[in-house]
Amino acid sequence: MQPVAAETTAAVPDTTPHPNYIGIWGILFVLTVVEVGVAFVGLSKTVTIFALILLAVWKALLVALYYMHLRYEPGRLRLLAIAPLPLAIILVVAVLTEF
Amino acid sequence: MDHTASVALDPRRPMPGMGVYNMKLGMWVFLLSEIMFFTSLIGAYIILRFAHPDAFAEPGEVLNVPLTALNTFILICSSVTMVKAFAAIQQGDQAGLKRWLIATATIGALFVGVQAYEYIQLAGHGFVPAVDAYAAEGRPLYGATFYTMTGFHGAHVTIGVLCLLFVTWRAFRGKYTAQSYGGVEIVGLYWHFVDLVWIILFTIVYLI
Amino acid sequence: MQSTATMDAPLHWAGHGEPQSFMRRYIFSTDHKIIGIQFLFMSLLFLLVGGILAGIMRWQLGYPSQPMPGAGVLPETMAVDGIILPEFYNSAVTMHGTIMVFFAIMPLLVGVFANYLIPLQIGAPDMAFPKLNMMSFWTAAPAGLIMLAGFFVPGGHAAAGWTSYPPLSATPEYSGVALGQQLWLISLIILGFSSLMGAVNYITTIINMRAPGMTWFRMPLATWALFITAILVLLAIPILTGALIMLLFDQTIGTSFFRADQGGSPLLWQHLFWFFGHPEVYILILPAMGFVSEIIAAGSRKPVFGYHAMVIAIAGIGFLGWIVWGHHMFQSGMNPTLGMTFMATTMVIAVPSAIKVFNWLATMWRGDLHFHVPMLNAIAFVAMFVIGGLSGVFVASTPVDIYLHDTYFVVAHIHYVLFGGSLFALFGAITFWYPKMFGRMMSEALGKVHFWLTLLFFNLTFFPMHQVGIGGMMRRIYDPTQYEFLAPMAPTNRFITIAAFLLISTQLIFAFNFIWSMFRGKQAEPNPWRANSLEWSVPSPPPHGNFPAMPQVYRGPYEYSMPGEREDYMPQHVPAGMPASSPTPVHAG
Repeated sequence: MQPVAAETTAAVPDTTPHPNYIGIWGILFVLTVVEVGVAFVGLSKTVTIFALILLAVWKALLVALYYMHLRYEPGRLRLLAIAPLPLAIILVVAVLTEF
Repeated sequence: MDHTASVALDPRRPMPGMGVYNMKLGMWVFLLSEIMFFTSLIGAYIILRFAHPDAFAEPGEVLNVPLTALNTFILICSSVTMVKAFAAIQQGDQAGLKRWLIATATIGALFVGVQAYEYIQLAGHGFVPAVDAYAAEGRPLYGATFYTMTGFHGAHVTIGVLCLLFVTWRAFRGKYTAQSYGGVEIVGLYWHFVDLVWIILFTIVYLI
Repeated sequence: MQSTATMDAPLHWAGHGEPQSFMRRYIFSTDHKIIGIQFLFMSLLFLLVGGILAGIMRWQLGYPSQPMPGAGVLPETMAVDGIILPEFYNSAVTMHGTIMVFFAIMPLLVGVFANYLIPLQIGAPDMAFPKLNMMSFWTAAPAGLIMLAGFFVPGGHAAAGWTSYPPLSATPEYSGVALGQQLWLISLIILGFSSLMGAVNYITTIINMRAPGMTWFRMPLATWALFITAILVLLAIPILTGALIMLLFDQTIGTSFFRADQGGSPLLWQHLFWFFGHPEVYILILPAMGFVSEIIAAGSRKPVFGYHAMVIAIAGIGFLGWIVWGHHMFQSGMNPTLGMTFMATTMVIAVPSAIKVFNWLATMWRGDLHFHVPMLNAIAFVAMFVIGGLSGVFVASTPVDIYLHDTYFVVAHIHYVLFGGSLFALFGAITFWYPKMFGRMMSEALGKVHFWLTLLFFNLTFFPMHQVGIGGMMRRIYDPTQYEFLAPMAPTNRFITIAAFLLISTQLIFAFNFIWSMFRGKQAEPNPWRANSLEWSVPSPPPHGNFPAMPQVYRGPYEYSMPGEREDYMPQHVPAGMPASSPTPVHAG
């Protein structure tokens, strides 16, 4: 139909790197268990929240970088993917100062 | 259109652009808007909870954390099967593609099922989104934000399962090859994104 | 739409034949040009509806509680004996804003011109996702019908203002409107999907489908402005959708996101709405700026002054638009530190805006000015935008805004940028690209009459609003005579009303010109304005697939009156040394 987009990824088999998906799955599983542990082990509220956010971001990064292959995409696509995050943070943080 | 004053030109390709094909770029652009959509729902929850800490329960007080932790694990499993399907078709492994796609759709449907079970359980304990039921204990905000966030995530998973079924059907008709796997890749991107949102939701809603 | 991921797939160029059946060709068309024209008809219709609502409001303000001529046709729920009821007045205020913003100006700027211009200006045969594009229109149309249906439901249409602040919007008991408000919410949620599909398409197309040689800094400013606008639509609309969904739940199933009596926060709605709302304001002006840049360059026969600065200013306004939303809420009891921050960021927007204004002036400076209708409208845009921009600086200042908030001064400000700005640019843009769309020129004489009368009556209508605003008249008031301190403004209000009715009547000239020219207008050549961008290299109207072959781009879009050239323009697709009127080159092999 329409022309194939510019420089479609040279998707010859085997050129896309395939990291150890099962290994990452294992890490995600362990991190989930650690998360639940941290939430109920009875640390102080601040430490718990900080640790949980750190773990969640870690897991999210693993999914984005390896399962969504962001790690192997062109840098401008990576830039595009994180573009809305500053806006999201600005919104929530600015409104939080109001309450 | 036949112009006599034609100028000889090398047939050239368009400008380089993003370096990925249109559908993939389109999916990524769409996911950006999804980030903002979930920002509005999750942001509303964070702000309301910050403003009225008393209106929300401590983790595990109302919600069934072990069940949801299991469900989180289920969704993560579906992500790994999805990426396995993608890896299979990139190597031209048709049987592997079908196997992993079916696994992904099944595990995704299982996630929705567990969530439905969780909702029924919670509603049975009187935890509902509307004002009246839980108002006695002064927590109408908790129900409203909880069901809106997890509900819209559940809707996304459901749509994802439907898309996966469509892709599976196409896979059985042999529509994907080692050279042409766009449909598998973009449904995968959507699926992993939904998984990623759940990772954030699980932490913020159930554990903090 | 199945894409293939291979590098070596052959490049199809306009490979699909033109569909022959009427339905596929004009109704469920996937051709971006037809879709743009569909949006054009739809949004002009809504412009008319919004104008009629404005007339109803103006009558009530100029001649409070006197029978309005012609209002006898309205049902009992809207007007009794021709006297506009307060409930209907509130609906009219709400729906004038909603329809003008979401169903008239936004589709006119984005739906029409993004669809029509982007593929033509970047040298692509169509959008990246033609079927998605078709769905975008066929999602917007039902949303519009749902919005119109609200007028005819029990309880009347939404009446909480176009901003729909809770508690008025969240609690049916307060406004007396339940179903109307819900239809309002549902319609906007659906329209959000339409905008989203459009934005994904525009962004993908511009990034990935530019013709060879069309580098980022050879793109016409209209495409640049539409690109930044699409990014704003993409990221702002979902925030609104989320907020609308929560408000809909408050309305229907009794949640309490925004209901203070149940622990929710009405302020949260204001934050979410304006976090969407301020980018939305730039969605409504940036494309207009792009069109005006095209028209002024072609009408002055000079390159746009400071092309790169123009691009940077568009992007700068686009980014700053995200961090100023609080200036709509200075009166909400905002934390003063936050208020000061918003005030400062808002003031900063004056910088890129001023850069653009000075660049337009410098483009015209000592140019070979052609005062055709598009050019006149574009110059009016610059002038009116300056007035609206300056009153914007007034209300951006917290201490001044605390006095002016929710008065007619704000109404004057918004209309100077939205009518004086966007709509003048649109009159110019429609006249400018009309020959490309329909193959015929709009009447120059009628266009000039329409332009001068509109400019006159526009200023007579909206300039006095500054005065009644400073006098303290509230912006959503039903009957100004009920307050003694507003009594001295009654003559001014009557004057505004008369001017407004003349302004609305003048638009009939445009409507007549638009329809008449479609059948009787002068046949248009491919490049009637002797402009440079790629859309002028193809016949008017362009065929299915736009270009006979992939065009090659040799230069920027504004090479007018270059020294050493035989003609005063040099189109982007013409190789050096060739005459400017050369047709699109065809591949030799």
